[in-house]
Amino acid sequence: MKATRLGLLAGLMMTSAAVPALADENLLGYLSGAETLPEGAKEAYLWVTQRQDKGVGSYRATDVEAEYEYGITARLTGMLALKGQSIHTSGILIDGYIPGDMSYGLRASGIEANLKYMFLSPALDPVGLAGRIGLEYSWLDPHSGQDKRIISATTEFLLQKFFLDDQLVTVANLGMESTYARREPIDNLPAGFEWSTDPEMEIELKAGVGLAYRFAPRWFVGVETFYETEFETEIGQERWSWHAGPSLHYADRAWWATVTWMPQLRGGGETYPGQTDTDLHLIEKTKQEFRFKVGYNF
Amino acid sequence: MNDDFRKWWAVPAIIVPAAIPAPAFAVQYLTLEQAQQTLFPEASRFVSQPVHLTPEQTRFVEKYARVRMRGTEQPVWRVEAAGQHVGWFVLDEVYGKHEFITYAVALDASGAVKGVEILDYRETHGGEVRQPAWRAQFTGKRYGASLQLGEEIKNISGATLSCKHISEGVRRVLALHQAALQ
Repeated sequence: MKATRLGLLAGLMMTSAAVPALADENLLGYLSGAETLPEGAKEAYLWVTQRQDKGVGSYRATDVEAEYEYGITARLTGMLALKGQSIHTSGILIDGYIPGDMSYGLRASGIEANLKYMFLSPALDPVGLAGRIGLEYSWLDPHSGQDKRIISATTEFLLQKFFLDDQLVTVANLGMESTYARREPIDNLPAGFEWSTDPEMEIELKAGVGLAYRFAPRWFVGVETFYETEFETEIGQERWSWHAGPSLHYADRAWWATVTWMPQLRGGGETYPGQTDTDLHLIEKTKQEFRFKVGYNF
Repeated sequence: MNDDFRKWWAVPAIIVPAAIPAPAFAVQYLTLEQAQQTLFPEASRFVSQPVHLTPEQTRFVEKYARVRMRGTEQPVWRVEAAGQHVGWFVLDEVYGKHEFITYAVALDASGAVKGVEILDYRETHGGEVRQPAWRAQFTGKRYGASLQLGEEIKNISGATLSCKHISEGVRRVLALHQAALQ
């Protein structure tokens, strides 16, 4: 029912703010372009991402992110976000990661703020370049659903280049996320189950490329691919994964929407005992992800 | 599709209908006739004289304008006043961010830009391209002008793509005049 309330809230936001604007819209689901909002422009986003299938048992997690962006200047955009998640997992026990079944509906899980600065405009300069820095604090583990304090800082470089009379948009992203995390203790752990509550430090690197083509007025079709890897204090490279998938984007005067399918194609690093899909990383990642984004300008 | 995911689709299902009452996407500021009268108030006659570019002319225009021609036919009107040829009225479309922008370029009899008018603007941002001060930057420009956005033509923040494409479009119209209306 919380999801329905959130939908009603979003619907009210729409009807109460009927004015134009459209700029930093997301043509793709996972990668970003270098454009920023015009000065004084405001945009609200809602993302819903579903992660599912770890190759054993039943796993389904849904991430929700409500964002507000503001064009501080024509080159600097600020963003604030409230995050939530729901999770339903059963029949999965992964030592050190997933201590048992968990099932709950939407819960607030974190907050995030970031700044995006456009150094070069993709429409004016030979190539667009933006930098984005962000800070996130969350209190739920996105993998197990258990309590976990996480502080993350991200730095990204976003490249964007137009082709074919600006109807073809290409982007490339390179980012690093540094994380400090500490799990909360759990009662009644399975016998011998490892659940460290010591602080851990992680560094994640992410690189990806994507393109979107306007095939009809208001409609873009896109494809994107990215590689992620994470290094952790005790075990070095904990995981890597390669993802690729298509997107469909529609934009109207006041709003836009993007739907993306993002399966994991290859992965490695740690595996859980009995894992059959050994060419995928399935401890912190899933086989499938679906993302729906909607943005509204006001 | 599981129940949880189905539940989340309620969000866009509510949002999309809520957005529909938003202002109409397309805004027509001027009809063709109004644009003609605005740009050539002294005209007594507009004679439709569409230009059909040859492959050689198309290559010439694309080379100068540095943009692709989407077709080989261009709607053009020969403008007369008191029986004299006073200029050309060229109707054109360029890409906006999402839809086409329809605009018109008036050229005097010597081929210099007399004025630019926006007929249809369907984009969310960038309606400022209709501002007389921005459009006045094209007045007097002739074939050979770079019309480079950010240099010869000032950019409007938030409407960069629209400014860029209209500037390229005017450059294309000047090349078309050079190639086919001299």
